[in-house]
Amino acid sequence: MSFKINLKVNGKEHVLEVPAHERLVDTLRYRLGLTSVKEGCGRGECGTCIVLVNGLPKHSCLTLTATLDGAEVLTLEGLAPEGKLHAIQLAYLETRGVQCGFCTPGFMMMTKALLDTHPEPQQEQVKEWLSSVLCRCGSYHYYFAAAKLAAKYIKEGKIYLDEKQVREKYHMKVIGR
Amino acid sequence: MYRPKTLEDALEFLSKNAPDVKPLAGGTELLVLIRDKKITTPKYLLDLSPLKKQLSYVKIEDGKVRIGATTTLYEISRTFLHSDVRFAGFVDTWKKFGTLAIRFSATIGGNVVAGTQYSDYATLLLAYDATVKAVSSRGERSIPLEKFILDKRIIDLRPDELVKEVEFAIPPQGSSSSFVKFDRRELLIAGIITGAFFLALEEGKIRDVKIAFDMVKGKRAPARSHEVESFLLGKTFSEDLIEKAAEEVLPTYMERITDWWTTAEYRLDMSKVALKRGLLKCKARIEKGVI
Repeated sequence: MSFKINLKVNGKEHVLEVPAHERLVDTLRYRLGLTSVKEGCGRGECGTCIVLVNGLPKHSCLTLTATLDGAEVLTLEGLAPEGKLHAIQLAYLETRGVQCGFCTPGFMMMTKALLDTHPEPQQEQVKEWLSSVLCRCGSYHYYFAAAKLAAKYIKEGKIYLDEKQVREKYHMKVIGR
Repeated sequence: MYRPKTLEDALEFLSKNAPDVKPLAGGTELLVLIRDKKITTPKYLLDLSPLKKQLSYVKIEDGKVRIGATTTLYEISRTFLHSDVRFAGFVDTWKKFGTLAIRFSATIGGNVVAGTQYSDYATLLLAYDATVKAVSSRGERSIPLEKFILDKRIIDLRPDELVKEVEFAIPPQGSSSSFVKFDRRELLIAGIITGAFFLALEEGKIRDVKIAFDMVKGKRAPARSHEVESFLLGKTFSEDLIEKAAEEVLPTYMERITDWWTTAEYRLDMSKVALKRGLLKCKARIEKGVI
């Protein structure tokens, strides 16, 4: 049995025909090619598959796509428009938290949801929200700093940054030293 | 999967295809169970998300607090249940339940229906003496939560029934609750043991007390510890009394199990600690009037 559903992903409308048992993580990765969505444990423990559904974080491995008719989904690809970087992305770059990078999309989506609800988060709030994702390199400390830096950038109005400029600025540089 | 338009529609589908249907709410437990092959893959899933508007609410009606079955834990956290000291246990449980991302999806109905020792909200609701309302195309039925959860993953819900809401009487002024969960980490834990406590005081005397643990004697699912309650009821609240209840009364009515996680002895010891801390926390909350 398959279902015809309307899904708005990263601002783009899609009409999809999905089987009842298809999970959102598979739809996003294999149907729409949004590979920032990672599957880690597949059972809601690691949080690397987190995307925003109607503005709230959701484990895409625990969501059946067919239940999402009319929903709006945001993945890391849709965080900033083409050719731009979101303040969150720049903040993660500058606080040099990323090691293997597998968990980073989940963390960034959680950060986005956090900053949407708490524009000026306290350390406790940052911890509470970001603890939904597991990072086996142990970069939590850096990610907490990143979330605060991102909050600062957004407050200053620097939400979207030119990707090219950022590339030029950090070309051949060791970030953070 | 079936996507109903209304509750009546859902109930009709349920009664037609009764044993082959599993209602799907948050999916944080059911989909994992299917994935792990802990249950046979159901022929149909009944998607409850179209009923969200109808079944998601927290309200006070006829002197009772009613929580709709598909209300997510996040939605609960935005209501008076998280600001009124009489419901302080909800804040404790919220902080200890899974991870934040899970709390956005997990529903109160799902937690009750799961009926395992990891159903933190079921344990908490037991301390509020909650009632489960089940509906089917034949009509509505109220079951006390204590009788609803029969044993681990065995619940008193007929195949064509759907949990509609959970309700409990509004606690009186001068009462509060707490929830205690121990483990090696803070988050994403099953909990070596959990305990939920409700206390109502009147001029220093214990007017009402309800104690629920993740397991008690003879039940591998959340249940009340009536013996300890009746020991405490009517007495004047003091630390000595709690000490006595924890050290002398509790062990005789508490049975803990050993598994790969920890031993029964350790679990029993931690249950005593939970009882003491939980009740003292309730008392402090009643006195201060803040969570």
